[in-house]
Amino acid sequence: MRDPNAIDFWRGFALVTIFVNHIPGNTFERYTFSQYGISDAAELFVFLAGWSIGIATRRRDGTPEPAGQSVVRLLARTVEVYRAQLTVMLLALALIAGSALLLDNPLILEWHNAGGFFADPIQSVCGMALMTYQLGFFNILPLYVVLIGIAPIFVLVGRVSLIAALALSGAIYLASLVFEWNVPSWPGEGDWFFDPFCWQVLLVLGFVLQGWNLRSDTLRRWSRRLIPAGVVIVILGIALAVTGLRPDPLMVPEPRLLFTFEKTYLTPARLLHFLGVLLAFAPLYAFLAPRIGGVGRYLSQLGRNSLAVFSMGSILSLIGQLVRFQTGGGVLVDMLVAGSGLVGLGFTAWFVEWRSRTKSSRARS
Amino acid sequence: MAQPHQVVPGPVVRRARVPVPRWALAALILGASVPGAAAEQPADTGAGDQPGLSQECRVPGAQLYTMAKLGAVRTALGENRPLRILAIGGSAAPGASASYPAKLEAALERALPKTDVSIDHRGLPGEIASGAAERLRTMVAEAEPDLVVWQVGTHDAIARVDADAFASALSEAVAWIRSHGIDVVLVDPIYTASMAADVDYNRIVEAVRTVAAQQQVPLVRRYEALHYLSSRSDKSEGHMLGRQFRLNDLGLRCMAEHVALTIATSLMRTDPAPDPKAAPGAPPLTEPQRAPG
Repeated sequence: MRDPNAIDFWRGFALVTIFVNHIPGNTFERYTFSQYGISDAAELFVFLAGWSIGIATRRRDGTPEPAGQSVVRLLARTVEVYRAQLTVMLLALALIAGSALLLDNPLILEWHNAGGFFADPIQSVCGMALMTYQLGFFNILPLYVVLIGIAPIFVLVGRVSLIAALALSGAIYLASLVFEWNVPSWPGEGDWFFDPFCWQVLLVLGFVLQGWNLRSDTLRRWSRRLIPAGVVIVILGIALAVTGLRPDPLMVPEPRLLFTFEKTYLTPARLLHFLGVLLAFAPLYAFLAPRIGGVGRYLSQLGRNSLAVFSMGSILSLIGQLVRFQTGGGVLVDMLVAGSGLVGLGFTAWFVEWRSRTKSSRARS
Repeated sequence: MAQPHQVVPGPVVRRARVPVPRWALAALILGASVPGAAAEQPADTGAGDQPGLSQECRVPGAQLYTMAKLGAVRTALGENRPLRILAIGGSAAPGASASYPAKLEAALERALPKTDVSIDHRGLPGEIASGAAERLRTMVAEAEPDLVVWQVGTHDAIARVDADAFASALSEAVAWIRSHGIDVVLVDPIYTASMAADVDYNRIVEAVRTVAAQQQVPLVRRYEALHYLSSRSDKSEGHMLGRQFRLNDLGLRCMAEHVALTIATSLMRTDPAPDPKAAPGAPPLTEPQRAPG
């Protein structure tokens, strides 16, 4: 098991933030960083996924592992995430349907667009397998499946040239913004909440930056120099978030998506804001790590087991919403919900590591 | 009157699919063009004077909707172009969701003859008070409709959002849509006996009503309508999931008709105005309207 490190720490941090933000209306929501900027934890999560692909497919000295091995590794990960998505969706639907039955309250069926599933189960079950049917708040994993599924292309191009990989990714990103490409939802009209054509740019950026970071000192030098720019962007983001100022999507010039703040398309403003956050906060880990002890170890442990923790977090946040709804919420309930959720996430991470430890020790004996 | 007060499910459902004859439509238009006829309609028991509604869906007008002017829709009709509607909000009755947009389209084309209606139907998960209002802006920008029919409040009610925060976010969103010369019809949340005594829930329903009145947009009072239907069908048959589910089902099947009737009656009240800027209901296009409070 690896020691606590910055990547796992920030990933754990993103996981906790996503968990809290997925219990809408709860008291602690307003203390998450997502409320104070244009971008949020989703960006951090996807960027770190890209960075981790870099770590997984490169050796310490920067030399890549054999191409076939990378492709198979990513394929295996895609299957794993897809399986998690199916499991989580089934459990979420069962939780929603079960609560509606138990409380004799059909209102609950409309939660997160689950109504569509119960209204049209024949189409929806196909849509669930195709991931074109998604529940509100359960749309990061489908994005993740697609991103890791297409990652081998960028990893292989990146072996020839990281610049080429980034250029390819950037071109797809820009084209999707201009032509509004997205994956359609079905059944039901509309598109994916996270547009994979746009969000892939963040994954590739993470992968490419990790490569550059290994190869030379230039990136680190520049990221230190650009810290003030990052701070300015963060302050600007806080100002925009607090005042609620944002471009009016019906007033901006065409192509519209280059100017708006839309999460679905990871519009340039969000991307820029995220890079600012990255520049401003990335150096913080080295400062924090020796001072926060247990918290750092806790977050790193979550980050090491991100898929299991994320999946469990989605389910726990849904349970949290149901509890808040039935009890009427309030600070006390929120503390209980958030507290037991954080313990649950920690337990999940511990359990996964315990299981893999016992498995490997059994394999050895 | 030979109005059957007990709803017999089978035949009535079938009858609902039969197109309403022309004379019925004429009656609807005539009935509605009498000033105040619909809004202040006495709650006469059977509500038999609503030929636009199928029998199982009949609710007295006063309990079904409040009217307001629909300038943009009127303009679209005046220009003889297809009426583009963005219908927002899902529904959870078995078999109801897929048919809601289709039913709404059919009901509107019945109520507005010679009009081609095209409907974009989108789900909008999340709370209006945090995030979903932003997503709504995107949807409106993508669809560029003449009219937004918005089922609103359920998610905020479930998330126990404070009713005042919800009202101000909704008010701002409605004002924004209208500032772009697009009409809005609001639909408040469903009635279900398990929530009838819930104070927060009732405050959310109340908030939708208040915003509709403040922003002068038509409101489909789904809560009241379902409440009425539930009191009428007290002795009705059981549903395999219990009575609440059966009621929910009925409410959603009736929704398309209720929305169409609200739009049609509101249109009767809208002066024919080729220029939307001249219509008193439509605020200026250039100046984004700020939410009050």
